[in-house]
Amino acid sequence: MISEIDRYASLASPIHRWDPRFRLVSIFTLIFSVVLLYNLQLVVIGMISAIILVCISKIPFSFVLSRMKLVFIFVLPFFIIIPFTLTDTGLEIAHLGMVTVSYRGIESVEFAAMIVLKALTAVMLIFPMIGTSRMDITIKALEGLHLPNKLVQMFAFTYRYIFVLDDEFMRTDRALTSRGFKKRGDLYTLTTMSKAIAMLFVKSYERADRVFYAMRSKGYAGTVATLHEFHAGRQDWVNAAFVVGFALLLQVAATSDTFSATGGF
Amino acid sequence: MVHISDGVLAEWLWGGGWAVTAIILAYALSKMKTEDVPRLSVITAAVFVASLIHISVGPTSVHFILNGFAGVMLGILAYPCIFVALVLQCFLFGFGGITTIGINTVNMGVPALIAYLIFRTGTGLNIRPETKNRASLFGAIAGGVAVVLALLFLAAELLTTGEEFLETTVLVVSTHIPIIAVEAIFTGVIVGFIATVEPELFGKK
Repeated sequence: MISEIDRYASLASPIHRWDPRFRLVSIFTLIFSVVLLYNLQLVVIGMISAIILVCISKIPFSFVLSRMKLVFIFVLPFFIIIPFTLTDTGLEIAHLGMVTVSYRGIESVEFAAMIVLKALTAVMLIFPMIGTSRMDITIKALEGLHLPNKLVQMFAFTYRYIFVLDDEFMRTDRALTSRGFKKRGDLYTLTTMSKAIAMLFVKSYERADRVFYAMRSKGYAGTVATLHEFHAGRQDWVNAAFVVGFALLLQVAATSDTFSATGGF
Repeated sequence: MVHISDGVLAEWLWGGGWAVTAIILAYALSKMKTEDVPRLSVITAAVFVASLIHISVGPTSVHFILNGFAGVMLGILAYPCIFVALVLQCFLFGFGGITTIGINTVNMGVPALIAYLIFRTGTGLNIRPETKNRASLFGAIAGGVAVVLALLFLAAELLTTGEEFLETTVLVVSTHIPIIAVEAIFTGVIVGFIATVEPELFGKK
């Protein structure tokens, strides 16, 4: 099942009140700034700022952590593999037949930690960025930021249909199970699943045509229509100045000698 | 699978990825009509949902990637679909990274376009239930090639970033070799199925 990122969009916090257009641009800048850092201490500071933003947004940490579990599994191999090498440059620790495993040294551990922390910080910042308003309003904000209209429309519809098609596929899955189908690692499973997905596509095409005619008949002309209007106030600018300023500060700090690049690669 | 996380690649690589994606996206969007939006979105959603399905093969779990399939079905319009799917995957699940959306779209989308060229050359897009075997064969080739290319792109990017990613690259590429076969079979079966059930979908863009 797909869970919704905007589950806590109805909370009240300074970040929820922040104009989504400003919020998107500001936090996006912060994400890029953190990713561009090459110093472990600065990345840790970036991570702390992400944690602070999540705290201010009042989104429960249990929710954030449950979402970040997958990312963690994804970046963990880097942390485990990078400190070791198969080339004979480091300290030899084991011989596995023809292959020699060596340890690269503490710098490489720091380098790996930096990569993992950067990836986690970036994902953590998604929560205050788009978890604090309803998805339709976030998409309306993208239109307000003058993204290509067709792209914005695609985001809106795709987001809507992910849930519909997920339900639809669940039904197919239940139908298969009730006929005694079990997923195994064989060719039969693969071809059966392929045909189930093929059917999902055929049905999706038909559904898409019906959706389009229905929308046309209700006056769809390719713009996002919501009742929500954006009004940027002084507080929105102050928040933006604060977050973007912090992002720039990180970059300025990175140029100083105190925070030289970690790992030395 | 081959989503690259934030902070791994050199910045000129992910920056370049954004540039290439922006160019292809702008071209694809200019080819796209407003009427196409609902249909492309429903297909993007279907690709998204299908890519969440995991099948255990041996000790690992694999999932469909479907970039080759998207290319075969949509041609150039597969590119915006893959872009939207990756952005939503990133924001809904945290798969991949934010700064790397551009380069990840290149890794998936450019092979999708090449898969389309292979399929179009092989079948002439003249698909009827009688020619389903040919469509199936070229579908399988396109699906397999799309994954091979995605892996090659990924490996090249990791290795240009630095030699400390050598072992990671070896691991990622070797664990994905079975996926090439899975994806080829999958794309072949699904193209054959659509050729039998609703062949006119191939011409629809």
